[in-house]
Amino acid sequence: MIVALLILHGLLAVALLGALTHQAFAVASVRSDKRSFFARFRTVNAAAYATPIVLLFTVTALAGGLLYPDYRVAVRPALEDLQLRAANGAFEIKEHLVAVGLGVLPAYWLFWRTPLAPEHSPTRRNLTWLLAFLVWWSFLTGHVLNNIKGLAQ
Amino acid sequence: MVFGALYTICFYVDISLFRYYPEVGQFHLQMTPDIGPPILWYGWLAVAALGSAAIALLVPSKLADRLWSGWVWVLPVVVVMVILVYEARLWFV
Repeated sequence: MIVALLILHGLLAVALLGALTHQAFAVASVRSDKRSFFARFRTVNAAAYATPIVLLFTVTALAGGLLYPDYRVAVRPALEDLQLRAANGAFEIKEHLVAVGLGVLPAYWLFWRTPLAPEHSPTRRNLTWLLAFLVWWSFLTGHVLNNIKGLAQ
Repeated sequence: MVFGALYTICFYVDISLFRYYPEVGQFHLQMTPDIGPPILWYGWLAVAALGSAAIALLVPSKLADRLWSGWVWVLPVVVVMVILVYEARLWFV
């Protein structure tokens, strides 16, 4: 059961990562050749991603919250025994960054409501990139720690 | 906007509304020894959520509308930087 939840958490995280990365590059102020892969990657309807991102972030965080007790009992003691301080610390940071992300979601959703206010474009861009950083850290940390000591071991 | 700051204060000062003990599957309001390690994260989130909601309800909308919209990302970025520096000194140095 816990493994199924962990897999679900990972799949949701991948979807969230993809959506946020698309949106982040869509709002980034960079020039790109219209025919390039990068140009096609960022040519998305950025505003349409906002609500799915809010939902995915919330549900992924909820799944993580349900997994946390097993992490605390099964994984963290193993990291401490192996003296993997950096791995332990990276996950501590992940917990805090996810919490900050949850707090940012309401403002993020409000600023991405259509019709988009042009004067708030910098705020939308910065909120999106902030969330993207939080999600990338969380995803990479969770993935690496699961490779070290997964819940099924 | 203030959720992240409140959460950071909660975990730094250790203000948790409740604790969850995963080895016994119990919630407690106070630290309870001999039943395994506690999880305070849920309690920190709860305090930050309640505090943010209270501030949102108490601050007049006219005052909130006059604030620079950039604060919604500047404050969380500052909070993230504080968290990274604090935790790095604990775990990576």
